[in-house]
Amino acid sequence: MALSVQSWSPFKPSHFAGLIHYEELLFHDEVFWKSLWNTVVFMSSSPIAIALALGLALLVDTRIRGRGIYRAIIFVSYPLMTVAVGIIWRWLYDEKVGLINYILLSLHLTQRRIAFLDSYEWAMPSVVVAAVWQIVGFFMVILLAGLQNIPPNLQEAAALDGASGAQRFRHITLPLLRPAIFLCLMIGVINSFTSFDLIYVMTGGGPNYATEVLITYIYRVAFVLSKFDYAAALTVVLFVFLLIVTALANRLTGGEAGAVDAAE
Amino acid sequence: MRPSRAAAVHATLAAVSVVMLMPFYWVLKTSLTGENIFQYPPALLPRAIHPFYYVDVWYYIPFVRYLINSVIVSIIVVGGNLVCNALAAYALTLRFRGKRAIIALLLSCMLIPFQATIIPAYLITKELHLLNSYLGLALPLCSTIVCIFVFKASFDAVPRSLIDAARIDGLAEWRIIRHVMLPLSTGAVATTVILSFIWSWNSFLWPLIVIRNPEMQTLPLGLSTFLSYMENTTGALYAFCIMVLVPGIGLFLLEQRRFIDGLTSGATKG
Repeated sequence: MALSVQSWSPFKPSHFAGLIHYEELLFHDEVFWKSLWNTVVFMSSSPIAIALALGLALLVDTRIRGRGIYRAIIFVSYPLMTVAVGIIWRWLYDEKVGLINYILLSLHLTQRRIAFLDSYEWAMPSVVVAAVWQIVGFFMVILLAGLQNIPPNLQEAAALDGASGAQRFRHITLPLLRPAIFLCLMIGVINSFTSFDLIYVMTGGGPNYATEVLITYIYRVAFVLSKFDYAAALTVVLFVFLLIVTALANRLTGGEAGAVDAAE
Repeated sequence: MRPSRAAAVHATLAAVSVVMLMPFYWVLKTSLTGENIFQYPPALLPRAIHPFYYVDVWYYIPFVRYLINSVIVSIIVVGGNLVCNALAAYALTLRFRGKRAIIALLLSCMLIPFQATIIPAYLITKELHLLNSYLGLALPLCSTIVCIFVFKASFDAVPRSLIDAARIDGLAEWRIIRHVMLPLSTGAVATTVILSFIWSWNSFLWPLIVIRNPEMQTLPLGLSTFLSYMENTTGALYAFCIMVLVPGIGLFLLEQRRFIDGLTSGATKG
């Protein structure tokens, strides 16, 4: 039964044509490098999202009225259909009548309208903002659960010993939140490999590959250009990359993943 | 907490809430009035509200067809997840050789996102002649490792003696699962239903690959097709958007606690 889950997971080596595809990919394919770079850029937005979420979690964790409502409002964007979210954001970013251009113009932050999704410089940041908007509530809820697991008497003891709010945050809250932060980081990393829907709907990988990430490139190569063998080689690269990043993240946060494994 | 500080917290959270809700409001307003499609500067408050764009949706696109497709696939996926994951989790509560290895294997596979396996998944589905079918759409989503561990955690909490008693009474193993384990794990069942429903309801990349026949398109696919030939300039697109989002938001508001718990436990168990 357990194997039934796996039947679609193992990767099948696609060919015995030697390393031709890898050679092409590594040395002759600029789009590949571009998409790899974009994946890294996309990934590097998750620390920002986590920092935002941590701030929100701390605010929502205070004892104020209506915190349940705030929590729900901030979370609600997460479980929604990403295709629809993409359409919503396309509309906000619209060059002529979009809300964001209107706000920027009325605040005199910009003189001319910006075609966010059609400009080479703006497309990627725009997509990242939408992605952060969607996932920040989810991170917040995870961090909130982590915060509420910290025994309150630790904070009280430190306060009695004369530790300031900032010191308590630095030396008690943050270290104890490490597993939750690591979890968010992992989700962020995986998310950067899987954010196909949002990018496909908002920009389709364009303009001029400015928002092409590995997964949209794999889709294009396999299902638009019908080069399955090449897409398979790309998939292998994606796997290797994912492994490296996971191992790095694991090292950085002091091997929390090992602890999670052991707990299971 | 000092009142001034509470006010500051409220102000910050209110501002964030506005940012979070603004996109929804804007699209809802566009779908109900259409006024900011052709008008600049856009008005912040809606003026003349009318449901015409919602009517348009019925004429422009086979909404009901998409809806039925989405519902059928979701039912198969939710059912598949309940059956497969409960069986797998029950197997993992038993003692057998190599159990640790299998658990380790499952855990490491959990890090592999489904999107990374679309090429082999597509080739397998093609070999099975399931392209363009409900089963083909649902199959890859029918079992998820996260849910196996959700079930396993819940099954592990069932006292051993209860299972032994059922066995002595001559219950078959599958009936033990059905009549002893599942009734004692309603939380895990709810989590699995919510998670698998959301995954299947929102899934886009897989249907995009597997479905060639317009008749078989699900809601997200229909939405993106509609976008591709309508572009940004019709209110019906936004009405369609709202209609697609309503079930998700409704479910969220009804079952908020369960929903958040389910989605986070799905992540934290993993």
